[in-house]
Amino acid sequence: MAYKMLDGNAAAVEAMVLARVKVISAYPITPQSYIAEKLADLVAKGVLDAEYIRVESEHTAMTAATTAQLTGVRAATATSSVGLALMHEVLGMTAGIRMPVVMPVVNRALLSPWSLWCDHSDTMDERDSGWMQFYCQDVQDIIDLMLVAYKTAEHDQVLLPAMVCFDGFFLSHSMQKVDVPEQELVDNFLGEYKRKNLYLDTSDPMFVNDLTPPEDYTEFKYQMKVAMDNALQVAPEVMAEFERSFGRKLSIIEEFQTADADVVLVTLGSMSGTAKQTVLRLREKGLKVGLLRIVLYRPFPFKQIREALKNVKVVGVLDRSSGLGLPGGPVWVEVSCALSGCGAVVKPYIGGLGGRDVPESTIEKIFNELLAIKNQETETHTSWIDTKANAMDIREVLKVV
Amino acid sequence: MLNLKFFGTGGQGVVTAAKIFSTAVSLYEDKYAKTVPAYGHERRNAPVFTDVIMADEPILVNSFVYHPDLVLVMDASIIDKNVDPGAGKHDGTILVLNSENPETLERYKQYGFKEFYYVDGTGIAVETTGVGIPNGSMLGALAATGIVKIESIEKAILDFFSKKAGEKNAEAARRAYARIKKM
Repeated sequence: MAYKMLDGNAAAVEAMVLARVKVISAYPITPQSYIAEKLADLVAKGVLDAEYIRVESEHTAMTAATTAQLTGVRAATATSSVGLALMHEVLGMTAGIRMPVVMPVVNRALLSPWSLWCDHSDTMDERDSGWMQFYCQDVQDIIDLMLVAYKTAEHDQVLLPAMVCFDGFFLSHSMQKVDVPEQELVDNFLGEYKRKNLYLDTSDPMFVNDLTPPEDYTEFKYQMKVAMDNALQVAPEVMAEFERSFGRKLSIIEEFQTADADVVLVTLGSMSGTAKQTVLRLREKGLKVGLLRIVLYRPFPFKQIREALKNVKVVGVLDRSSGLGLPGGPVWVEVSCALSGCGAVVKPYIGGLGGRDVPESTIEKIFNELLAIKNQETETHTSWIDTKANAMDIREVLKVV
Repeated sequence: MLNLKFFGTGGQGVVTAAKIFSTAVSLYEDKYAKTVPAYGHERRNAPVFTDVIMADEPILVNSFVYHPDLVLVMDASIIDKNVDPGAGKHDGTILVLNSENPETLERYKQYGFKEFYYVDGTGIAVETTGVGIPNGSMLGALAATGIVKIESIEKAILDFFSKKAGEKNAEAARRAYARIKKM
């Protein structure tokens, strides 16, 4: 095994190099900048045989990556936060023309207030864009899920783009010990990129993304829905093949000590690791707590989550985005929907916004509350779990009584 | 599992020190380490900190260190800049300080760390590298506590710097390792 010390951004670059990307169009943005810079450096030094297109915005970065991939090569880009928001329009095109672009997204809060730091509001806003979304727990996951994302996205029965989401700073800038697969193994796993369906070829011109009347629009969308359904079958198969090739087990949801659990917390991203450590510690005290980590969030593993949690009495869902206008965040809404009719109480939690750490103490607070609810000792539910007591006095603009 | 907190000021190479330490532990000792860096509005001479977690097994936690087992202070002046190096310490927490100034040592003694190692890392950096950037020397000081071998630190330093700078910093680490004192 070839261990390297990599931070999350460097791991994403390794994965793109291993996938032999041929065109890169990236615009730097904190905390993703290293990816854009390092890829430029590798191309300039001749280490990576690729064209690097310098673009003036993320909107163009995504347009160039998508259209480059239409010519029949793997293309690369990466972004974060408002950069992803600026791509919003083009993300729909990439998905709609079925280009299996794989893009690392370094999770960073959306404005306002302005923030450089981690939460999931950027990628949550794109959850219905027709892109698949994988969420990484640690730096090893970034390489592994990037490779899984390429193979799933490019599968004949899928042909949808994929975001590989990882937490800004907590993963992008955390240096960890990573097993980097050998190029030959990755070549065998991914195979050479082959253009399928739509393509751009000057000797064989075709219209792409042209005006589609009401007679056909629904059917195009239906094809995408079927592709999403297929991805729920394909992704686990690809993960099984990944394990055979590289020895690491991956799954679309991860059940951690859930089998006999009284209460279960649902998370995604880097806080899942911290939550697992908390579960282990609370288990030592005899508390029957468990964790369900969602790895593949789009398509949403509806049945798998229902199957995993159908007998749990009380479930908490910790969203790392604010879900304004609803009692909880988007992950809570969907988990509640998946568990409807199971008899479980599903409680929403919001935390870790704008770079706020999600330490073991926050997770423990949630577990304690879930256990108290389960034992009917309390009706208290603290949905904004890590908010300061004096929240309404912070940089007060307008006194809300 | 061992939780470490590195304090210093902008420009001292605190984040680099954490990366070199993690590399020494992970690649040259068959253990696992991860850095948990805190990025903000970086400025030269402003207080900075970074965390490192090390263990014999892969580490699950992805959160900051609140109860350090070891505190490394690369710039003693942080206590005059609203930083409390004793925050969250427990009965067994170890301090490693870059200073041999008696007055400074006396002030740090008040924090009541269980063990207190100290060495003039900046002085050693000047005499070995010509520049008062103490990350190489203070990594040698860390090795003196026994949590990592000096040989591993030297190898990791050579990975991070160009050949000449690497050798000078490795020498700084060795000197601090040899000269460090314990109160």
